[in-house]
Amino acid sequence: MTVEATTEAAPVPKRGMNILFGLTLLGLLLFLWLVLGFATNSFWTPNNISNLLRQGAMTAILAVGQTFVIITAGIDLSVGAVVGFASVAVAWLLAAGVPLWLAMIITLLIGVLIGAFHAFGIVRMGLPAFIITLATLTSLRGIGLLITNGSTISITNEAFTNFSRADFLGVPSLFWMVIVVAIPAYVFLHLSRWGRYLFAVGSNSEAARLSGVNVNRTIYVAYILSSTCAAFVGLLLASRIGIGNATQAEGWELQAIASSVIGGTSLFGAVGSVQGPLLGAFILATINNGANLLNVNSFWQRIITGALIIVIVYFDQLRRRGSR
Amino acid sequence: MTGLYDVSHRHEEGAATVARHPVPKGQPILELRGLQKKYGAVEALKPASLTFLCGEIHAIVGENGAGKSTLIKLLTGVIRRTSGEVFWCGQPVQLSNPTEAIARGINAVHQEVVLCPHLSVAANMFLGDEMNNKGLMRKRAMTAAAQAVLNDLGFNLPAAATLSSLTIGQQQLVATARAAMRGTQFLIFDEPTAYLTRQESAQLFRLIRRLQGEGVTIVYISHRMEEVFELADRVSVLRDGTHVGTRKISETNDAELIALMINRTIEQIYHKETLPIGATILETRGLTGPGFEDVSLSVRAGEIVGLYGLIGAGRSEFALGLYGRQPVRSGEIYWQGKQVEIRNERQAMNLGIALAPESRRDQGLCLNLPIGLNINLPVFDRLTSGFTINRRREIDNADRQIRDLKIKTPTRRVLASAMSGGNQQKIVIGKWLSHGAKLFIFDEPTVGVDVGTKAEIYRLFARLLEQGAGIILISSYLPEVYELADRLHVFRQGKLVASHGYRGGSHEDVLTQAIGV
Repeated sequence: MTVEATTEAAPVPKRGMNILFGLTLLGLLLFLWLVLGFATNSFWTPNNISNLLRQGAMTAILAVGQTFVIITAGIDLSVGAVVGFASVAVAWLLAAGVPLWLAMIITLLIGVLIGAFHAFGIVRMGLPAFIITLATLTSLRGIGLLITNGSTISITNEAFTNFSRADFLGVPSLFWMVIVVAIPAYVFLHLSRWGRYLFAVGSNSEAARLSGVNVNRTIYVAYILSSTCAAFVGLLLASRIGIGNATQAEGWELQAIASSVIGGTSLFGAVGSVQGPLLGAFILATINNGANLLNVNSFWQRIITGALIIVIVYFDQLRRRGSR
Repeated sequence: MTGLYDVSHRHEEGAATVARHPVPKGQPILELRGLQKKYGAVEALKPASLTFLCGEIHAIVGENGAGKSTLIKLLTGVIRRTSGEVFWCGQPVQLSNPTEAIARGINAVHQEVVLCPHLSVAANMFLGDEMNNKGLMRKRAMTAAAQAVLNDLGFNLPAAATLSSLTIGQQQLVATARAAMRGTQFLIFDEPTAYLTRQESAQLFRLIRRLQGEGVTIVYISHRMEEVFELADRVSVLRDGTHVGTRKISETNDAELIALMINRTIEQIYHKETLPIGATILETRGLTGPGFEDVSLSVRAGEIVGLYGLIGAGRSEFALGLYGRQPVRSGEIYWQGKQVEIRNERQAMNLGIALAPESRRDQGLCLNLPIGLNINLPVFDRLTSGFTINRRREIDNADRQIRDLKIKTPTRRVLASAMSGGNQQKIVIGKWLSHGAKLFIFDEPTVGVDVGTKAEIYRLFARLLEQGAGIILISSYLPEVYELADRLHVFRQGKLVASHGYRGGSHEDVLTQAIGV
């Protein structure tokens, strides 16, 4: 362990590597699309592409929110449950005659509150993020089932349900929502000081604190953003399936975490981006979509997803070790 | 084997190649010839030649950072030497890993207990060497055996109790019993009495003498002179990584040892200029908080106030209290004549206090983030216009500090972890230079820093003083605070026990006050 030697071996500008990694992921995505284009007749049809973009959109938004939390070296296991709960909330509010705009705002505010509750548990009660978000995961499903009495609430508001089927400039509106979320998220994470604080807290919260960073507030921000993204996805899902159901979006938290990790986020914190999880989400969506087109058993899809996570993260580890 | 209680059967295979019986009493059992350890350019241990005689109690004394812990780590195989030779019972040995050291019978009891707090005392004593019956643990047998050992040593401790239910001192005794039980021939104690009560210390001393009677060689590291004189047969002194001498205990006294521990190299790299002392920036009255009690001191513009003491004397805790990191329980803080309350770090920063904390790794830096981000961390609010950060100003600020402080890096995007100790310290300092402050607290700024960087840091102090700032310099390295501080306060056990003017009192006085002989 010679200090001198590391000083000389180290200078690998981090940004360049991030761009390279981003390009590798983009390359992988394009490669998958090319292969599927050759292997199937139906992949490059407008219908399928729209479908793919819709499938990937919701995971992508969840993954972006999740990434904020993971960068602070935390985890948010509740996002899938928040999606289901938000779909129930908006359906219930609409059924109760609340105007659409207000129902949507209230649903998003519920997301804010859930995130604030998570941060409260972590900051004030000293609970591990894993535990507090696991607890809300199961509780929220329970509350949702209580409200709906175990069934579903249908949504009759056509303006709301038509939205998910609509296109804008030939692109599904759900995909536009990814852009609506990703651009502010990019500005927030990469261009504002808040983003820097997220990284600093994830790297060394004590050093951040002693440098005047309000660590507690930073944690609140991260979890609120994650839950709010999840509530937003809940709205999109409710619009897409036209019902509110507390058991929807089962396991989506794992999809979100997987997308984030495939996109280069480190579960140890302080490494991550906005573009990475977006690519990760669409890579996963492409694999599922392709497997469907190729008539691969859906059970296999899960196995492939798992294997892919191992392979991509392993290569990412190699890359990091190489750059050290 | 010479261990008291050789209930273990572990070293059967490995031990075949190792001398089963150590050399006769009074003959060299472990010999170091030119043993050296370098971390990059920093020489933590300069080539040292030392001989330990079989069956002796050999004390090692020296200031913090003198190289004692480096020596222990080398002997126990935790780190590998850069050069030099080690002879065990006359045979050259590698000691390249802890397993080898333990197999040869070299063990250490550390100041901080390194056992599993959730397991029972017995389980800890047998950890890694459990008695078993065809793979099943013989829990009851182990508890009984452990209890027998504890009783025999005269420790009134329950073997079935969970380790964490004991006091730190009692845990230390368990660690000692564990080492004693394992056929140890060479046992190193690293400041074992730091957390022990008088009674526990007495028990420990009895055990040490008993081990010695069994032929075990003891290395005893301590700050406490009275213990050294009570226990040891011989004593070696380390200073700045150099072995400066070994004395028979009957032929020396504390004055000689303290004189050996001190040196004056600092004058060669630092020339103090006398600056006009300005108005009082900060004053504390009876400040009390976790780890420090009733501290009253003041800092004026243009002066360095030194805080000296051993590790754990309450200096860093005082700094953290002042900085708002830990709540102050009572006492008053006056900032430029006005009474203030500092409840969090932001308030301290906004007043104009900067803290370069004790541990760069744990408190100072976000190691896996770029140098630039680390430097800018306290000032991002100033670099922000509207919602986003002004990229130009962010880059300029980082690059300016890198240039001014001569941080050796090709770009601000290199991760802080890739930097050497000296450069990392510069990053921590750079962060506060870009923020600016009236009062700079430097906690051990030159630990693990090479001489060149040390000189740069001292020159930087002078620059800050010229600009009218005040400095609190916390250091365990006496020559540093002694030569640099306009006023020097000595801490012991959380209290400010003595104060000196510039170069007031001798090194001997100051060290004696800190140790409390």
